[in-house]
Amino acid sequence: MTNKYYEFFCPVKVIAGKSALEHMPYELTGLASERPMIVTDKGVRAAGLLDPVIAACKEGGLEIASIYDEVPPDSSTTVVREIARIYRAEKCDSIIAVGGGSAIDTGKAVNILVSEGGDDIAEYSGAGVLKRPLKPFFVVPTTAGTGSEVTSVAVITDEKKNVKLPFTSSFLLPNAAIIDPRMTLTLPPHITAATAMDALTHATEAFTCMAKNPLSDAYATAALKKISHSLLAVMANPKDSAGRLELAQASTMAGIAFSNSMVGLVHSLGHATGAICHLPHGMCMSIYLPYVLEFNLESIREPLGELLLYLEGPEVYSATPASHRAEGSIAAIRKLRDRLFELCELPRTLKETGKVLEGQLDSIAKLALDDGSIMFNPREVSLEDAKTVLQRAWG
Amino acid sequence: MMGKRLKPMMFNARRAYVELMFQVMGRALQAISEVDESTRSETIELPDGFLFEMRVMPHGPALIVEHTGTGRLLYHGDEPPRPVDLSIQFKHIAHAFLVLSFQEKTAVAFANDRMLVDGDISYAVRITRVLNRLESFILPKLVAQRAVKEYPANIKLPEKLVRAARIYLKVATNFVETARS
Repeated sequence: MTNKYYEFFCPVKVIAGKSALEHMPYELTGLASERPMIVTDKGVRAAGLLDPVIAACKEGGLEIASIYDEVPPDSSTTVVREIARIYRAEKCDSIIAVGGGSAIDTGKAVNILVSEGGDDIAEYSGAGVLKRPLKPFFVVPTTAGTGSEVTSVAVITDEKKNVKLPFTSSFLLPNAAIIDPRMTLTLPPHITAATAMDALTHATEAFTCMAKNPLSDAYATAALKKISHSLLAVMANPKDSAGRLELAQASTMAGIAFSNSMVGLVHSLGHATGAICHLPHGMCMSIYLPYVLEFNLESIREPLGELLLYLEGPEVYSATPASHRAEGSIAAIRKLRDRLFELCELPRTLKETGKVLEGQLDSIAKLALDDGSIMFNPREVSLEDAKTVLQRAWG
Repeated sequence: MMGKRLKPMMFNARRAYVELMFQVMGRALQAISEVDESTRSETIELPDGFLFEMRVMPHGPALIVEHTGTGRLLYHGDEPPRPVDLSIQFKHIAHAFLVLSFQEKTAVAFANDRMLVDGDISYAVRITRVLNRLESFILPKLVAQRAVKEYPANIKLPEKLVRAARIYLKVATNFVETARS
C-alpha cells in the first residue's frame, strides 16, 4: 500500500484573456452583488489601471460604490479597520481588490471584518478560525508574480504590537481572479523581471519540495514553460500583450501549485531577508533560487532534472544525459538571471543589491530557520547550512 | 466476522498507544530540556510561561508542555492549566498513530496536511526541531531515520547512549512520581 497522500484545493474561478475585465459585471451580479468596493493603492490608480476596471463595470451596468486607493505596501490593522468602516458606511456588498500582494491581502482581511463583523481583525488571526463563506470577493492582479489571487493566506501588520498577523482559511480565496493582459502591460522592466522570477521560484519549489503532488506538479511545470517561453520576449518588447498574458497566467498557475504544495528554503531566506533588509520579495527569490537548489541537489535530483524540459525545451532536454539534467536546470536558471541582469540589472547576488551588509547574514540565517516554509524544504537545514547558502549568495 | 470484532479492539489499542506515546514524549521533552544544552538553546527563545500542546482532534489524547524559563520545559499531562499559546493538532487519531509509530516523519505529516498549527508558526518550527532532536537521541538510529527528515550527522554513538539513558531515567522517574501522587 502506498504511503503517498495529498490534498489539492482551488475553487477560484479564473477569468483570463482578452476583455476579461468585461466579464466582471456578469460574474458579480451572478453573486447578487450590486455595490462593489474597489480596494487598491495609489500606484495602481496613478498608472491608470483603475480606469479599465471602472469602465468595464459601468458599461456592464454596475456602478462601483466606493474606491479606497490608499493601501500601503505593508498593510496594517488600522487600514483594514478604516476600509471596513467605509464599506459599511457606503453599504457595499462585495470587494474587488486591484493590485499586487498588499492590496489583495488587504482585500481578504477587509472581507473578514465586513462578513464576520467587528472592528478588530486580530481576533480572526490564525488557521481555521473562519467557519463560513465571506462576501463576494474578486481579485484583479496588476503584477505577475505573487499568485495571491489563488492563495488562502493573508498577512497584515499589527502596528501596536509590531507583529505580522497571519490569516489562513479557504474562505479567504476569492470567488474569481481576473487575469487581463491590460493590467500588466505597463509594468516596468525590473518589476516584470522580479515578479516573473517570483513565479518561477513558486513553481520550482512547488515541484521540488516535500508536499509536491501530481496536481500541483502539473500547474508548476505549465507555469515554468510559460515563463521560460515568454519572459525574455516580454523584456524585449514590453507591449507584447500575448506574452504579458502568458506571464500573468503562469503566475496564477504557479500560485495554485505552491498554495497546494508549499515552498521551501528559498522562501525562508527570502522572507528573512525582506524583514531585515527590506529587499523586494521577487528580487530575493531570484537571488537565492540557484544557491538553494544546489544545496538541495542530492535530495531533488530527479524532479529538478525533469524541470530542464520546461526550462530549456525538448532539444536541450533530450541532448542532456539524465544524470546531468538537474545541474542543467540550475544552469538554465543562472543563464536566465544573467540575461535579466543585462536587461534590467536584476541582482544575482546579495552584494549586487547594494542594500545588504555582509554582517547581516547571520541574522538572516537565524530568522530563516524559524520561517514556516523551512518545514517543507526537502533537506533539513541547520544554522550552519543557512549561513553557507547565504555566503554563496553573497557573491 | 472476525474482522468486525477485531476492529473496535484495534481502535482502542491505537488510541491507547497514542495516549502512552504522548505521555512518554511529554516527559521526555521535559527531560531533554534538562540534559541537553542544544535543546535549551532552542527552547530558551520561547517566551517564559509559553504553553503548547499536541492534540488529536476533536477531543483526543493530548500532551501539554510549558516553557518555565531558561529553556526548561515542564510536562503538564493532557489538561492545560490555561489557554495554550500554540496548538499542533492531528486531524485524526490515525494520523497521530502514523507519526508516533514512526511510519510517517513529522515533517511529512505536516506536508501531508495531517496536522494543523494554531498559533505562531515560528514557534511550531522550533518545537518540531526539538522533537526531532529528542527522537534522534531516544530512538535507535534505524527507527529515528524514519521519524526525522535527516538524522543529525553530529550525534555520535557515545553521546547518544549517555543522553538517551539520562532521558529515559528521568522519564521513568517522572512516571513513578506521577503514579505515587
